[in-house]
Amino acid sequence: MNSDFVLTVCPFCGCGCQFYLQSMDNEIAGVVPCKTDEISEGRLCIKGRNAADFVNHPDRLKSPLVKRDGKFEPASWDEALDIVSKRLSQIKQIHGPDSVGVLSSAKCTNEENFVLMKFARAVIGTNNVDHCARLCHASTVLGLVKSFGSGAMTNSVPEVEGADCIFAIGTNTIEQHPLISSRVLRAKEKGAKLIVADPRRTPLVEFADVYLQHKPGTDVCLLNGIMNLILSWDLADKDFIAQRTEEFEEFKNKIKEYPPGKVCQVTGVEQAALENAARTYGEAKKASILYAMGITQHTTGTDNVESCANLAMLTGNVGRESTGVNPLRGQNNVQGACDVGGLPNVYSGYQSVTDEAARAKFEKAWGVKLPENVGLTVTEMTDAALTGSLKAMYIMGENPMLSDPDINHVKKALSSLDFMVVQDIFLSETAQFAHVILPACSFAEKEGTFTATDRRVQRVRKAIEPIGDSKPDWLIVGELGQKMGGKGFDYKSAQDIMKEIAQLTPSYAGISYDRLDSGEVLAWPCPSKGHKGTKFLHKDAFTRGKGKFFAIEYKEPAELPDKEYPFILTTGRLMFQFHTGTMTRRIPILERELPTGFVELNTEDAKKLSIAQGEKVKVKSRRGEIEIKAFVTDGILPGVVFIPFHFAECPANELTSSNLDPEAKIPEFKVCAVKVYKG
Amino acid sequence: MSNGENGRKSVLVIGGGIAGIQSSLDLANMGFKVYLVEKTPSIGGRMAQLDKTFPTNDCAMCILAPKMIEASQHPNIELLTYSEIEKVSGEVGNFQVKVRKKATYVDWDKCTGCGECTQTELGEAKEFNGEIWVDRIKIDEGTCIQCGECAQACVEENKEKHAMTNIAFERRSFTELPPEEREGREPETLPQRVALMDEESRNEFWQSELKKCIKCFGCRDVCPVWVYDGAELEDAEWIKPGEIPPAVPLFHIIRAYRVGDNCINCGMCEETCPMSIPLRTIHQLMRRQPPESIFEIIPGLDAETKKKLVQAVRKQPKAEKKQPAAKREGRK
Repeated sequence: MNSDFVLTVCPFCGCGCQFYLQSMDNEIAGVVPCKTDEISEGRLCIKGRNAADFVNHPDRLKSPLVKRDGKFEPASWDEALDIVSKRLSQIKQIHGPDSVGVLSSAKCTNEENFVLMKFARAVIGTNNVDHCARLCHASTVLGLVKSFGSGAMTNSVPEVEGADCIFAIGTNTIEQHPLISSRVLRAKEKGAKLIVADPRRTPLVEFADVYLQHKPGTDVCLLNGIMNLILSWDLADKDFIAQRTEEFEEFKNKIKEYPPGKVCQVTGVEQAALENAARTYGEAKKASILYAMGITQHTTGTDNVESCANLAMLTGNVGRESTGVNPLRGQNNVQGACDVGGLPNVYSGYQSVTDEAARAKFEKAWGVKLPENVGLTVTEMTDAALTGSLKAMYIMGENPMLSDPDINHVKKALSSLDFMVVQDIFLSETAQFAHVILPACSFAEKEGTFTATDRRVQRVRKAIEPIGDSKPDWLIVGELGQKMGGKGFDYKSAQDIMKEIAQLTPSYAGISYDRLDSGEVLAWPCPSKGHKGTKFLHKDAFTRGKGKFFAIEYKEPAELPDKEYPFILTTGRLMFQFHTGTMTRRIPILERELPTGFVELNTEDAKKLSIAQGEKVKVKSRRGEIEIKAFVTDGILPGVVFIPFHFAECPANELTSSNLDPEAKIPEFKVCAVKVYKG
Repeated sequence: MSNGENGRKSVLVIGGGIAGIQSSLDLANMGFKVYLVEKTPSIGGRMAQLDKTFPTNDCAMCILAPKMIEASQHPNIELLTYSEIEKVSGEVGNFQVKVRKKATYVDWDKCTGCGECTQTELGEAKEFNGEIWVDRIKIDEGTCIQCGECAQACVEENKEKHAMTNIAFERRSFTELPPEEREGREPETLPQRVALMDEESRNEFWQSELKKCIKCFGCRDVCPVWVYDGAELEDAEWIKPGEIPPAVPLFHIIRAYRVGDNCINCGMCEETCPMSIPLRTIHQLMRRQPPESIFEIIPGLDAETKKKLVQAVRKQPKAEKKQPAAKREGRK
């Protein structure tokens, strides 16, 4: 009998907890917490503790599948890759390279995303490469780049513990980032004040000193109101503003238009609470902002992010320990997938595709001519598929059939494609539409790196041999690249790819497997071999030079409730499931805790509609209708309903609207109008 | 017999039973300096436990007590109680003996023998190994949670001249001290703090700690003595699935009950808790008190639930050996 312990990284949220996988005769036996890991300290949440339970699940895809006469039939790797390369080359030749769209994955390693990004750009010749960051933190990447020059969490997770004041807005930290919330509670024990702003009474609210229950979509107004009070009480950090920032005056004039009276009327927050929040945040020496989807998933997502940045700059809470603007990223490697260029407008390290110097560098390295125009985003690809300009899609480890807004629309789009390849570990809802399915390895069967939410690059290590005929994603894409005549796809190992990433990406230049394996904790930017990594950003100067204030006007959400659709629907995740559930719904303990979805409804509303606890109701929007169990609670505002989006049998995204943020192209998952009725 | 203080010969007697006492008295009366070493906190030994003695049927204590007092007051006898011999070296006529004196946390020069320290709520006298000892005085590391009640009783009875100098007492007053005087002093321990709380603040304390729970089942998964697969924690009738925090305090009461006396105080549950709930404290308190009385400590439980709980725990399922994780249900 062979038994081994392998240190690796959790495949769920962005906290980046490391743990040991125990393997026994090439089967995963369990997860053992790692006490020396800086993030988890030997502690894990329920998903982490059971993280490996899906690895040996019987549903795992074990050989390539090819659709013939509407049925999937097993095929050999050669056969499957031949079909893919032939069909993709054909479509490229007839319709041009931009008729192919590629989705990389926040669940795969940096190396795999890099290879896929290279495949799209160098082999297919299109910048149409994007991933689910578009659906979660696209507005962060854009907004924080505009304000600070770098679109990532400014400070590191352990620093949260040292803050005097933590402002958590639009984040259900306890359920979604349990190991970050434990730092929040520790900070509280040391005397920090906690301000929580959320339309839903999430578990974190129990621990809040100040709770602001504002209406969904009124974040800009709320933040402007807080800043108005901070300015009028003279709590702003004038030295910081004068020395480190620009365009303050215009911003200041705009903020004057948001007196507390108006703000309270729009947001529905009580004035005393607003004042309390402003005073607590304004007077704190080290204040840290945490935010997540509640801020970003709006048509005003970029505005919301910039408002958070404004608030931090106004009080000088950037560039110091335990302060900053901290977007909490929801996927294990969504940060990394963005970093290595899984986005339509940038190469790895956020080097713009429209920048000639950057393009020339990549052209030289890869020995091909690269496309110049910015590619399509996830949401635009769906539309392009419907209009017919997008003919083929290559999807690696994503499940747009549950995660994208307005699924019926997505369904039409995917079924109108000429050719679709899905590379995944399970037969997901999306994979049903594919023409070829390529079986990939789970995190336990491959080498690589994940980048956690605080820019920390960590090693993923192989615990067992690939299940069935599955292969690591980088190997699949590498082989396909070679088949299609791409140069430089003959990687021997993930380490080779990391070397190439380090060469081409300034912020990853000093990162290597040798350093990571020796136990170093490296958070990018890490520009050279001797560099120790960067704990917090913008220390002496902002990445873009000076921090920029934006004067932001409050705009209403795109779809507001009316007579026919009187409720605001807001969506989100829950503790016991993860995203579209391809992994967590195959973990027995998680499925037992939360077997299906529900619609959260205020007690008063339920009474008006005479809906009882647990009763089946119908929820309808302009785009679709679902049947779902009612959960009646006081924890949500009257007029607002909440549905988790994990469940294929009652998919919240059948209802959501595909209204986009004009800049970041992120859909408004958090606000749309619905009606609830008894069917 | 070596030269002791003032050039006199000195003798060491091992064992403070009646034989040891009588020998010490005889030797002391002959002019030797006598060290009487006894491993328990008091001399007296077995005879103190007897009623009558052979052959005169005299009351045992009536014979023993005067001798005990004489031994303790004799100018030539030095009592070394609650002490044990570690090492004997040298030769006949000149031995060197190393004696370990264990801490009693009592200043014997000041002790008036009032016995108040033994009368505290938590420190009832208990029978141990056939001998009656007050476990407050014979402080047992395994069970003492350092509540400091005994020292408090001493202070109340003897005012400024209190004899109990235990560290728990020192710690106990820590939070009451002004910050500048805290330096160099040990802060109070959590079990100590909890044990000393009044019912209401204890209520609040457990509520605020237990509501942090995110139901990761870590405390159960890592527990080396947890042998039940499933049990009430995964039964929807007891603990509603999908709820965070899980029923406060029922979830943790059930868990603590199941671990119960098997707890080996390893502290893994607390170390692995992502929300840092002081789970070990529950078990430390359970070491001194039956679980039923811990339920008084963890309040908010109505009589009905309590009854149900006690019933459920009484009908213990057959303890099955925990299966290796890979073989559990659902993983084929």
